[in-house]
Amino acid sequence: MSDAITTDTADKTAPTSVPQDTARRDASSIALQGLHKRFGRDTVALAGVDLDIRPGEFFTLLGPSGCGKTTLLRILAGLEEADKGQLAIGGRDITEVPPHQRSVNTVFQSYALFPHLSVRDNLAFGLKMRGLPVGERNARVAKIAAFIQLGDLIDRRVDQLSGGQRQRIALARALVCEPDVLLLDEPLSALDAGLRSQLQVELLRVQKRLGMTFVFVTHDQQEAMVMSDRIAVLNGGLIQQVGPPREVYEHPVNAFVARFMGHDNLFPVIARNGETLTTPLGELHVANPGDGALLLIRPETLDLLPGDVEGVNHLPARVIERLYRGSHAEYRLAIAGTTLQATLNNRGRHLPEVDERVTVAVAADDLVTLAE
Amino acid sequence: MTKRTFRRALAGFWWLTLLFLYLPLAVVALFSFNAANSAASFTGFSLRWYERLLGNEEILSALANSLVLAIVSSLIALGVGCLIGYGMYRHRHRKLGWLIVLIYLPIVLPDIVFGISEMAFFVKLHELTGLLQPGLGTMIIAHVTFQIPFVALIVYSRFVGLDPTLFEAAKDLYASPAKRARHFMLPTIKPALISAFFLSFTLSVDDFVISFFTAGPESATLPIYIWGAIKKGVSPEINAIATLMLGAVAVAAILSLVFSRRRPA
Amino acid sequence: MADAGTLPTARSRAMVREARHLLLTVAPGATWIVIFLVLPSAYLMGVAFMSTGPYGLPEMPLSLESFRRLAGFGFLGWSPGNLYTLLRSLVQTLVATALVVVIAYPIAYYIATSRARWRPIMLLAVVVPSWTNQVIRTFGWMNLLAPGTPLSQLAEGLGLIAPNMGLYPSNFAVTLGLVYNFLPFMVLPLYAAFEKLDTAQVEAARDLYASPLRAFRHAVFPQTLPGLLAGIVLVAIPAFGMYVIPELLGGGKGMMLGNLVANQFAGAANWPLGASGAILMLIATFIGLYAMRRIGRRLGGGEEVVI
Repeated sequence: MSDAITTDTADKTAPTSVPQDTARRDASSIALQGLHKRFGRDTVALAGVDLDIRPGEFFTLLGPSGCGKTTLLRILAGLEEADKGQLAIGGRDITEVPPHQRSVNTVFQSYALFPHLSVRDNLAFGLKMRGLPVGERNARVAKIAAFIQLGDLIDRRVDQLSGGQRQRIALARALVCEPDVLLLDEPLSALDAGLRSQLQVELLRVQKRLGMTFVFVTHDQQEAMVMSDRIAVLNGGLIQQVGPPREVYEHPVNAFVARFMGHDNLFPVIARNGETLTTPLGELHVANPGDGALLLIRPETLDLLPGDVEGVNHLPARVIERLYRGSHAEYRLAIAGTTLQATLNNRGRHLPEVDERVTVAVAADDLVTLAE
Repeated sequence: MTKRTFRRALAGFWWLTLLFLYLPLAVVALFSFNAANSAASFTGFSLRWYERLLGNEEILSALANSLVLAIVSSLIALGVGCLIGYGMYRHRHRKLGWLIVLIYLPIVLPDIVFGISEMAFFVKLHELTGLLQPGLGTMIIAHVTFQIPFVALIVYSRFVGLDPTLFEAAKDLYASPAKRARHFMLPTIKPALISAFFLSFTLSVDDFVISFFTAGPESATLPIYIWGAIKKGVSPEINAIATLMLGAVAVAAILSLVFSRRRPA
Repeated sequence: MADAGTLPTARSRAMVREARHLLLTVAPGATWIVIFLVLPSAYLMGVAFMSTGPYGLPEMPLSLESFRRLAGFGFLGWSPGNLYTLLRSLVQTLVATALVVVIAYPIAYYIATSRARWRPIMLLAVVVPSWTNQVIRTFGWMNLLAPGTPLSQLAEGLGLIAPNMGLYPSNFAVTLGLVYNFLPFMVLPLYAAFEKLDTAQVEAARDLYASPLRAFRHAVFPQTLPGLLAGIVLVAIPAFGMYVIPELLGGGKGMMLGNLVANQFAGAANWPLGASGAILMLIATFIGLYAMRRIGRRLGGGEEVVI
C-alpha cells in the first residue's frame, strides 16, 4: 500500500475566512495519526490515515462508496472507535472520549430528527443534554433560527417538514451547540438537483460567516470542488491526495484521483526524452514532465483547429461525436488509433462537425504526468 | 352472480357473523338484568343480581385479586420485557436464535401444558424448599412468564422501525447513556410501552387456565370464581359479574379506537 | 495493518462492553423464562417417565407405565377411552379449523375491500369478543344452548335432538365453542394477506382467464396462502390443547386431550399419566409448527409464515 501519497499544501492556501477569536480557532484544528479500522475480519475501512485539518477550514472527504470516508467521519464524531491510531481536536487527544463528551456535532445523511419532539425541542436537545438553563436554551435556539432563517418552521412537527426543511433543521440543531467542529455526512445527497445547489451555497455561506471547521463527506466531486477549501481524496481506506480543489483537479497525483475527478484522457508514457514524451497519441512536448507513467490531458485545455495545421503539440484527428451543450461542446476524437475527449467553449467560432478533420492543439504547460 | 349481489351476499354474511360473535355476550348481559332466576326466559328488568354482587365478599376479593395480578404482573413484564426487546434490537446482528426460541416458547406452548408445568414445578419447589407456596405470588410469576414475550416483541418492533442514526444523533448531541434512555429512548417507545402494558393486562385478565393451575386456595381471581360458580350450578350472579367485565372490555375497545384515530400509526 | 489473528485492544474492549450490555439487557428476562418455564417443562417431561406413587404423585423408579396407561392399558386390561379422547381431539381440531377458515375467509375479504375508514372499526368488532375472558364467552354459549332456550327448542322442533336435552353438553357445542373462540385468530392474518393483495395480478387474471372462479384460484388464493397458514397455526395448535370449552360444553362424552391431562392433576390425580399426555400435546404442537413452516416455505414463494 505504498501508493498512498499525502501532499501537504499548507503554504499555498490561507483559510478564506479569518475568525477573530483565535482561541476558538486553535480549539478547532484536527489531527489524525495512523488511524486503522477494520470491520469483521476482512473488511478494511481505514488502513492508516494521517491528516491535519486547519481551524476554520471547509474540509471535504471525497471518495467512492466504501473508501472509508464515512468511517473516518464517524471516528471523528466518536460513533466508531479506531482500532489503532490517535485523534486530537484542538491539540487535545480525544481518541477515547465518548461522543457525548466531544465538542463535535454531526449533520446526518438521514437528518435523524427526533420524531417524538417538535422542531423547537429538536433544536434545544443538545443544549438541554449539556445542562443549559431554559432561558439560555431558548435564546440560543431563537438566535440560530434567525440565523438559518427557519421562520415559522420552528413551530412545526418534524413529520410536517419537506426534505430541504429537514436538512436545514438538522444543520441548525448541530450549529446551535456551537461545536468546535461540524461534521456533515453527505447532508445534501437526498435532495433533488435544484435544491441541492441552492443549499450548497447556503451551507458555504454559513460556514464562512461562522468560521467554524466543517468536515464534509461526499462522493460527488463537483460538490467537493464547489464547497471546499481543501479536499482529501480517499480510496481503499487510504488518503490518495490532499489539497485545494484546483490542485486536486489539475494536478492529480495518480490515476485513481484523476479518474475520480472526472478525467478520461489518460495515456501511458511509452518513452521519454527530456521534455518530449512518446504516447499512443504521438510525441508531445511537456513543460514539467516529472517522472509519472501516465500523461493527463484535460479536455478544456485542448483547442481544435480546422484542417491540418503543422506545429508543436499539434495532432491530426477526426471528430467522431459532438455533444452540443450551448455554452460549450464536448467532442470525442479519433486520433492515432485511440480516442480523446475535448471540450470547446462556444465563443461563436466554428464548432467542428462530425467526421470533420481537425488538428488538436495543446500547450506544453497544460500537460501533466502522474503515477499509475 | 353479478358483482352487486356478491357484495350483498357478503354484507349479509358479515352481519350474520357479527350476530354469531355478539349473541352469547348479549345474552349474558341481558340475563344479568333478569328478574327471574332463569337462563331460559326473561321475566322482567331487575338489578337484584348486581345488588347481590356488592354484598358478596368472595367476589370482591376475587376482583381485587384479578386487578392486583393483572397490574403487578404487567408492570414486572413491562420492565423485564422492555429490556429484552431493547437487547434484541441492539444486538440484532448477532446470532440470537436461542433467545428467539426462548421468547417464542411461552407463546407456542399450549396453555394447559404451561399451566400444569408451573403447577408441578411450584408444588415440587415448595415441597423441597418451602418457597413459593401456591397463591397470588406464583400466579404473578406465571403471568409475567407469558407476558414477557409480547412486551419484548412489541418493544423490539418499535425499535426496528426507528432510523438507527437517531441513536447516534442522541450520542452526538451530548446525551450520556442515562440521558439517552430518559430523553430519547423512553419517550420514543412510549406508545409501544403503553400498548404493551394494555396487551399484558388484557392477557392476564383473559387468562383462565394458567391462573387456575397456579392459584392457591386464597387467591381465586374473577375467572376462577366464575368457573367455580358454573361448576357448582349456574347462578344469575355470574351474568352480572360477566356483564361488568364485558363493560370494561367495551370501554377498552372504545378507548383503543379513539387512541388509534388520534395517532395515525 | 493489524495481524488478522490478534485483536487490537480497542476492539476487544468494545467487544467486552457489548457482551456485557447484551447480558445486562437480556439476562433478566431470559433467566426468568428459563427458571419459570423451561425448568418446569423439563420437570414435567421427567415426571412422565416416573412411576405413580400414592395420591398420584410421581416417584422413582423410572418407568414407561404412564405411556402404557395413556394408550389404554390399565389394571382392568385395555380400554379404548383414552384413544377415543385423542381421536376426538383430532377430529374437533380439524372440523373447527376447517369451519373457521370457511367463515373467516369471506369476512377477511369483506373487511379488506370495505371503505378504508370502516376497516379499523370492523376489525375491532371481530376482535373485541376475544378480549373477554374465555370462561365468560363459553358461559354465554351455555346460556344459549341450555335446554329450553329458543335455539334448543328450534333444534328439538327440527328433530335434531331428543326433547328436553338441550344442545349442550354435546360434541356439537364443543365445535361451536371452538369456532367462536378462534374465529378472530384466523380473520386477522387473512385480513393482512388480503390487504397486501396485488390487485394488478387479479385484474390480469380476470383479463386472461375471464372466469372469476379461476381468477380466484390462480391469482387470489395463492397470495393469501401465507396468511391462511399463519391462521391455521394460530387456531389448530391451541384448539388441540383446549381445556375450558370441552370442560364446560362437552360433558363426559365431549372430553378432549386437554381435559384428560388436566384431570390427572386434579381429581383423578395421576401426575405421570397427565405428564405423558402433555408430552403428546407438545409433540403435536411442534409437528404442527414444523409442518406449517415447511409448507409455508414451499408454497409461500419465499415468504415466511409468521407465527
